[in-house]
This record gives sequence, C-alpha cells and structure tokens, in this order.
Amino acid sequence: MGQLHLNKVTKSFGEIDVINGVTLDVKDGEFVVFVGPSGCGKSTLLRIIAGLEDATEGGIVIDGVKVNDLAPVKRGIAMVFQSYALYPHMSVFENIAFPLRVEKMPEADLKKKVESVAAVLKLDQRLQQRPGSLSGGQRQRVAIGRAIVREPKIFLFDEPLSNLDAALRADMRIELTKLHHDLAATMIYVTHDQIEAMTMADRIVVLNGGYISQVGKPLELYHKPQNKFVASFIGNPKMNFLPATCIAAKPEGVTVVCEGQTVTIPVEPRDGLTGEKLTLGIRPEHITLGAGDVKFDIVPSVVERLGVNTIVYASASGDAPFSAAFAGAAAVTVDTPATISFNAADCHLFDDKGEALERRTDLHEIDLEALNAV
Amino acid sequence: MSKQTAMINRYKWYEVISIYAAIAVFLFFVLAPFVEGFLVSLKPLSRLFSSPYRFWPEHGSFDAYFTMWDSVPNFGLYVFNSIFISTVVTVVVLILVVPAAYAFARFEFSGRGPLLAAFLAVNMFSGAVLLIPLFRLMRSLGILNTYAAMIVPGAAFLIPTAIWLLRTYMMRIPKELEEAAYVDGATRLYTLRRIILPLAMPGITVVAITTFIGAYAQQFIYALTFNSKTEFMPLPIGLFAYFGRQEVIWNELMAASFVGIAPALIVIFFLQRYLVSGLTAGAVK
Repeated sequence: MGQLHLNKVTKSFGEIDVINGVTLDVKDGEFVVFVGPSGCGKSTLLRIIAGLEDATEGGIVIDGVKVNDLAPVKRGIAMVFQSYALYPHMSVFENIAFPLRVEKMPEADLKKKVESVAAVLKLDQRLQQRPGSLSGGQRQRVAIGRAIVREPKIFLFDEPLSNLDAALRADMRIELTKLHHDLAATMIYVTHDQIEAMTMADRIVVLNGGYISQVGKPLELYHKPQNKFVASFIGNPKMNFLPATCIAAKPEGVTVVCEGQTVTIPVEPRDGLTGEKLTLGIRPEHITLGAGDVKFDIVPSVVERLGVNTIVYASASGDAPFSAAFAGAAAVTVDTPATISFNAADCHLFDDKGEALERRTDLHEIDLEALNAV
Repeated sequence: MSKQTAMINRYKWYEVISIYAAIAVFLFFVLAPFVEGFLVSLKPLSRLFSSPYRFWPEHGSFDAYFTMWDSVPNFGLYVFNSIFISTVVTVVVLILVVPAAYAFARFEFSGRGPLLAAFLAVNMFSGAVLLIPLFRLMRSLGILNTYAAMIVPGAAFLIPTAIWLLRTYMMRIPKELEEAAYVDGATRLYTLRRIILPLAMPGITVVAITTFIGAYAQQFIYALTFNSKTEFMPLPIGLFAYFGRQEVIWNELMAASFVGIAPALIVIFFLQRYLVSGLTAGAVK
C-alpha cells in the first residue's frame, strides 16, 4: 500500500515562500509526475515528502498515518537522486545492499535480495565493479536498485534522467515505465521535462511558483489546460497566443475577433464576456497551410525541417514569437510569406486573468480511459 | 616534431629556458642548506674550517655517522621520543579533528563562523607567545616534566589548522551521499563511519602528514620549557648535546640531524601512497 495525502503543505525559507499550500491525493500504485519550470518548488515538495525538508505547515499522510515527524525510512519511502548519490568506494553489490546493511539483515537473505534486484535491473554482471567504472545508464540503474531493494511503499524520483544523454533517456523512460508496471508501486517523479511527464505519468501535477496549476491525466492537460501557464508548458513547440476581442457569448460558443476575422470558438460561455479582451491559444501542430476558419499571412524567419514535420518560426501580431508545425516537408521558405490557418475547434480561449474557458472537447472521443488506464 | 603535445603545453625555447632557470633558482634556495649540511657531515672536524673553503669534502667519509652515537649515547632515545611524541600528537589530533571537521563542514549551529575565525586567530599566536601561561597551566595540572607536557600543547596548537584543512576537504564530498544514506535509514554516526570516513581518507592523510611534521618540528620550544628530564627529551634538544663546552662537533651534529629526520621522511613516504585523488569519481553524475 502506498497512498499519499498532502494537506495544505507550505514551505518557506525565511521570507521566501517556496510552496504555497499544496493539497494532493496520490492513489496506491499511481505514477504521479511533478512538472514545472526551475524554481517552481517541485524538488522541494519531493524532499518534503521524503523527509529531507520539514514542511512549514500542513500534513503529509502516508497510508493514513501522519508522517511529518518521522524519519524517511519510517515513512516507507525510497528516493533516487538526480546525481545518483552512489557510494564511490563501494562495489555495486554493496551500494544496493546498503539499506539492508543498515537494517542489519542476515547475510544470506541480503545476498538473495541484492541478486534478485540486480537481475531485474540487468546488473548481475556488474556487481563487483565500482560505480566509477559504470556508464551513466548503469549508474542510474544502481541508484534505482538501491531504492527498490528495500521494497518501499512509495518511490520518489528527483529528476533521475536529467544527467543522461537523449538516447539513453528515452531508453530509461521505457524501463522505468515497465518497472512501475512490474512493481505496481506508487511512484512520484519530479522532472522539468514535459516529454517525461507526458509519457510516463498516470497523472501530472503542474506546479508554478509554489502553487498547483493543474492536476490531470496527460491528455487532459494537453486538450483542456485550465490556464495559460499549463497551456504553454505542455506541448512543444509552445502554444501560440493571439490577442482577441469577445463580441458575443452564446450557448454554442464564444465569438471573438482575432486577426481581423470573426470566429466562434466552442467553449463554455460566461456572463460579462462581451467586449472583454481575451487571449486565443492555438497549438503549432493545429496550424495548417491554406484554408481554415481563421486565415492570415506570416513571414517565416526560421524553418526547421525534422523530417516528420516542419517547424516554422515567425513574428506575428502578438509579442511572443509565433510558431507552426506542419506535417512532413512543407513548402515554406524563409522570408517568403505563407498563408496559414487554423480551425475554431482547435482553439483555446483564456480570460484576462489567464484562466481558460472550458473547451467542449469530449475527452472520451480521444479514448482517454483506454490510453491511460490506471 | 616527432611527439605532438597539446597547444596549451607548447613553449618557445626561451620560455623553456626561463622555466628551468626559475626552477633551478628556487631549488637552490630550498636545497642548498641541506646539501651543505650533508657535505659538512662527511668532512673530518679538523678540515671543516680549512682555508680556503672547499665545497667538496677532502678525505670525506661517513665516520661522523658512526662516532655520533658515542658522543651522545642517548641519541637513539631522543629520536624515539620525537617519533613517540609526534605519533601520539597525530593520533590525538586525528581523533579530535575528524568529528570536529565533519561538524563544521555539515552542521548549521550558532557560533560556527566565529568559532572557525577564532581557530584561525589562534594560529596567529605561536606557542612561544603563550609560553608563560602554558607553563603555569602545566604546573597546575602537574604534568611538567612528562611526555604529556610536550604532547598536550603540541596537539592543541595543531588542531585549528587541521580542522580548517579537513573541513574544506569534507565540504567537497557531495551532500547527496549523506542524504541518500539518511533516506535509507542510516544514522549520522553510521554515515560518518561507512561513507564519510572512507571518502575523506585522502584529506585525513594530508592532515596526518601535516600534523606529524608540525609536531616533529615544533617540539623544541615545548621540550625546552616544560621538560627538564633527559629521558623525555626529543630530537631537537638531543642535537644540543653536540654543542660542547669548548667546541661544536659540527660534522656529527649534521649527521645526527639527517639521521633524526630519516624516520619522519619514511613515515611520510608511506603515508603519501594513500593520497589517491579521484576517489569520489562516480559518486554523482
């Protein structure tokens, strides 16, 4: 069992508030990813759960027991550090065996356990080597081995893949997902990499400035971001934001004027919207060349050809750079104006506070349950 | 060029010459007294002050290395005392400094900064300045004319430097290692024993060497003031025995000096093998 409940957890370092009241429930066996930009408090929150930092206020409850004053080992958690934190003077065997040595497990049991963990992580050939002679991926596996050998209730990962190169990171991502499936343990994973979050998480917690911006399944965050921050954080390249003015809010949607064109976007209307300045959000991958509901010209300044798609950067009427991703090899060249368009159904609308008007996308249409069965 | 060196290591011919010239000047200053001392130890006493002065000894021999034991029969004991005192000082300093340095490196406690500054300030006083208070202290404690009279102040004055040295070394050990051990349930002491001590070994060796050398070199002043018993005298006082009433037996004095520092050299030679760098490779990243 590994349920975690955070109840209005706050953390201040002197005058600076790092965590501003986080309330969160993590179910047993769930893979939850904390994601956010640097300094958003995600690592601090993880360290509070681990017991390496005290919460200034609020309760941390694991399996119904308040653990605020318990040492990490008593909380039933194990942690994998960003820097691996392997003991360089010990062999791989001793590194993995360390938590068992601490609890003075008999030698025979210890050996059996370490060897079974090593087999799971494909480290059985490396047990007598020192961490210094291992590759980055192997070191990472030793660090994970040290965490799973104790069979904790909850695993905590602090940006475990950020020191690996891109190819290895993709491999380890798959291995971690498999490991989560095999162990069926609760895992909490901190990363700044939205790809890691999207690919591994059952649920993503987006943190911004010590607040939870949104909690949801990966595709929920992608299709129904609750605010501009989540909308721009999830997705690569970032969502484009264009200024728009509301001229009508009717049951079928909100009608805005954007780039001089009138378009009705299918979002939940709200009273008092008419005349308001809004922000229209459109993801680069939803922009196409040619005709659509909203159509305008851009002058590409940079064109990136990735094979699978072509990414175009240009300056638009908004202050932020405008980007578009076209499938395959699109016929665009730098400094040659191109006509692009997008459809009203793909648009997001945000009010002046950055809060989203809920889109009428039915998440069942994209079969979320099948994609993300917990 | 047959052998390629990296650009950063390539020098013009005149640069090479000036580098070696500078090294030569430096080495001459450092080593000349030793060379001269060694040559003196080879010369017969009667030829020492012969005029004109000769650098290379005529009729040179190692006789002084044998006769020195007869002129000062207790010389062996003095060397033993020196080694004994230095060893005990080193052990005492290490026992006290390792936990202290760890605490200064890792724990936040009030007064840490001022304490460290105070340690540095203590180093500005040599023991000589404090001889009279120290003497009174030793007398009240009743340890005048014992080994302790030389060991206690010797250790006390070496501790501050040792703490600073080892603290700096321990601060370089990644904090995550301790956090990982803590998360795995290890106590502070267990972590110190199993993680910190093995990783700090090169630093501890440096501290051991500097302390041993320091103790070996500083004994003179304490031995002279706090001890009047011949059987406890260390090497520097023992060398004084070669200063006779009529004349100084220079060649034997020099021979004795070389014999006296030989044990220390051997100790250092063996300890320095443990100064392996890169022991923390693979810990983080």
